[in-house]
Amino acid sequence: MSDALDPAKMGTADKAALERLILTLADSKRLMGIRYSDWLLGAPSIETGIAASSMAQDEWGHARLLYSMLKDMGIDPGPVEHDRQAEEYASIGSLDEEMPDWAALVAAIVLVDGAISVVLSSFATGSFESARGRVPKMLSEEEFHSSLGAAWYRRLAAAGGEAKELLTAATKSILPPTLAWVGAADDSTGRMVAAGVIAPAEDRLATFRGAAREFTALVGIDIDAVDATPEWDGARGRTPGHPNEEAVQRARGDLNRALFVE
Amino acid sequence: MSSALPVVGRLDVGLPVHISVHKSGGRDVWSAPLESAPEDAVQATWDALNEVLDPEIPISLPELGLVYGVEVEGGVATVSLTYTATACPCMEFIREDITDRLISESWIDSVELVELWDPPWTSERITPEGRAKLKLLGVSA
Repeated sequence: MSDALDPAKMGTADKAALERLILTLADSKRLMGIRYSDWLLGAPSIETGIAASSMAQDEWGHARLLYSMLKDMGIDPGPVEHDRQAEEYASIGSLDEEMPDWAALVAAIVLVDGAISVVLSSFATGSFESARGRVPKMLSEEEFHSSLGAAWYRRLAAAGGEAKELLTAATKSILPPTLAWVGAADDSTGRMVAAGVIAPAEDRLATFRGAAREFTALVGIDIDAVDATPEWDGARGRTPGHPNEEAVQRARGDLNRALFVE
Repeated sequence: MSSALPVVGRLDVGLPVHISVHKSGGRDVWSAPLESAPEDAVQATWDALNEVLDPEIPISLPELGLVYGVEVEGGVATVSLTYTATACPCMEFIREDITDRLISESWIDSVELVELWDPPWTSERITPEGRAKLKLLGVSA
């Protein structure tokens, strides 16, 4: 474990890099929660919908804890959570649009939620004290998401037919932007690696590929042969684009702006 | 951070800033405040916390393993605690119940809550006393 990092002693560029890292994780969690919530009703069973509800709740809890880490750098998380435009979101590109079917959500649980956990695991053992103290709880809650996603992925892949076709299509669609996000190696991410906040890109990618390989193989996809999306928005730490407006309105709480109690 | 969104002022729709109108259950088991300052303020604080029930499960917060530490100094009671989940919907209830129970004591002037996530709460943290009570309620843990 690295020595603790003191945000108060960080240079401007390093601070900006840490802020961007926190935002990529927090925004991704917030959008992941919305994608789970899209399937509270309409999942294959009531029990599965309830599981989606619980996972949405977890994701928003994680997002809240991650946004609150901005306080360590003197940033008020309130405006960050409630005032940004869609174009300012740093969430992983794989979550920009609603999952079109249940198989796509299952692929997102395994590959996107899984990818976020890979980066969070690295964050939890790095030099940023707030992450060390808060992320382990998130990861313990993520174990349930991982179990459910794995079971459903195997189930749909084994079912064949349309279920497997949809799962395959979703996996193909999700992987390139997800690989780009996990393997980010721009200047900002490089600063966080150098400061011991997260692991190097090749380590993060190896962990992600190692965890996902057995699943993508079930739908005939060799994850080692998939290329990451080449375009990259270094300012936000994600692929170009942004979450759809409806999701961002929900993330910001636009309909309840006058009623916030926190 | 740019913001082109309209800034809507908070409307007075009857929502209290402090949502203490939403009292959780279990307050009927609270003892009357001590008549004088106790010799062992830390133990007395633990005793008071042992009367504060989790809003969803009728065992106390210490029995549930949510309280990590207590300090009392100069009339300030500092309680270190965690929650069962990062998105626990009862956080505000728990904060208010702890504060209201402790502040009722004449020897406590203020209450500070330190919220921790390390070590993460798991059901392993439930005390034997808590497990016994849950068993009577037909809940295994």
